[in-house]
Amino acid sequence: MSEFHLTEDQQDCLQELINIAMGQASDQLARYLDTFVYLKVPSIESVDAKGLIQTLSQQQNTMAVVSQGFFGYEGIRGEALLSYQEEDSGRIADLLGYEPDELSQDEQLMDISSILTTTFLNVFARQIDNQMSYNAPKLLPMVQNSLLDHLQQMTFNWDVALKININYQVTDYSFNCDMILLIPETAILNIKNVLDRILADL
Amino acid sequence: MLTESMLKQINSQIANQLNTGFLVVDDEFNIVMWNRFLQVHTDKDTARIIGQSIFTIFPELPERWLTRKLTSVLQLNTPSFCSWQQRHHLFELPHTRPITTDSEFMAQNCTFLPIETDCAQKYICILIEDVTDVCHYQGQLQKTLEELAQMSRIDGLTQIYNRRHWQESLAQEYAKSRRHNKKLSLIMLDLDHFKLLNDNYGHQCGDMVLIEISALVTSLLRVEDTFGRYGGEEFAIILPETHLTGAMELGQRICTSIAAASLNYNGEVIKVTVSLGVAELSDDASRYEELITQADLALYQAKAEGRNKVCSADFVTSFSRTKA
Repeated sequence: MSEFHLTEDQQDCLQELINIAMGQASDQLARYLDTFVYLKVPSIESVDAKGLIQTLSQQQNTMAVVSQGFFGYEGIRGEALLSYQEEDSGRIADLLGYEPDELSQDEQLMDISSILTTTFLNVFARQIDNQMSYNAPKLLPMVQNSLLDHLQQMTFNWDVALKININYQVTDYSFNCDMILLIPETAILNIKNVLDRILADL
Repeated sequence: MLTESMLKQINSQIANQLNTGFLVVDDEFNIVMWNRFLQVHTDKDTARIIGQSIFTIFPELPERWLTRKLTSVLQLNTPSFCSWQQRHHLFELPHTRPITTDSEFMAQNCTFLPIETDCAQKYICILIEDVTDVCHYQGQLQKTLEELAQMSRIDGLTQIYNRRHWQESLAQEYAKSRRHNKKLSLIMLDLDHFKLLNDNYGHQCGDMVLIEISALVTSLLRVEDTFGRYGGEEFAIILPETHLTGAMELGQRICTSIAAASLNYNGEVIKVTVSLGVAELSDDASRYEELITQADLALYQAKAEGRNKVCSADFVTSFSRTKA
């Protein structure tokens, strides 16, 4: 058990905070998008760089991955990756309330990614008395397998990351995507401190 | 210790000296404030823009799209972004490199931030970053990459495709032909007695011949054909959706045209001929390499029969079968 792993109590506490945040986020999103948004129970686990590459490469037909960095007080920071499948992203413009010719496919993906990420993380930050700032979302370069190549070429400067995977579904628009929040090791220590404080206050 | 008013002065001076524009609008998208950067770049009077709709002051803005975008900021209380890579600019502003870039307007990264105050009124801050430089260099990088990609496909001497790209094309055409059940033919072409030519006239003459022959063959092809330099004096042509008879006709035309051409080297007339082998992809071939082998066999046959002629793999197979 390394210092970067969460204890059972910390894991439960984080799971609870995320569940609450998901509930509020899906409510806000539903009102904004005017349709039901389903968020599946998240998975929380530690991954190493190799494991992350494996997870991402196992997803067949991944059409696009959008990355957006986030950072808050107390050293809480990380990167959100949103991954989309070809068949699940045909009606994003429609879902967002735009005319299809008003924005390109890339812009649709970045727009919806930013909305999903920031809505969820804003609510989550409020749960831990924090406040997040965000980078502009970026489409990771990918043609066929090149996301994998891209990831393999990167020499990650972290060994372990906390990985939170949340699946979003909007059945009315046959939309489906995965949000993967990755929190690198120093930020894990910071989040552990926050969780310990919350646990002590209970 | 800073007083409230000193803090205000510092804040407003920083805001006015930032090389980033900002503009604050209320929930009806009327402008409530902006900084000096925008005032200077729009050359508009601050007093005349305050209280006006952002769409009146900046008629170039895509109103429906931006309204929806700003609505998301207000309703979700989350930031929103717009990158120059998707939209080169939102606001038509001049930039600081009008002389050394070809961009008419400032390339922009825009950020829309929800702003909360003590009162119930909600505001949005629009940050406008000048990224004309980034955009300019990215464009140059893109151009260079395209040139490099082009160079990696082209044979330096003859300016036709090189072996590597030609072979990739054949692999693709093979796959296409199998998928759509279409014909595919191949011509292998070799200059006759090229070594002799080099020995008698020198390698520069040999180079000239390779260049001229490449140009001549290119002029006889359709756009969908892929012509490449296979090796030293050996060339190959991929003919999609072409059966053997059609490929033979083209081969004959190339053979005759080259034999009839008079090339000029330092005032001397040079005559060259070529031998050609033609093959059509057979139904039982399981790899594109088999097509090369067939065309190659036909080419050897043409050489063996005295050069300056076209042979088909059809003949070769029947020939070898008779022999066997």
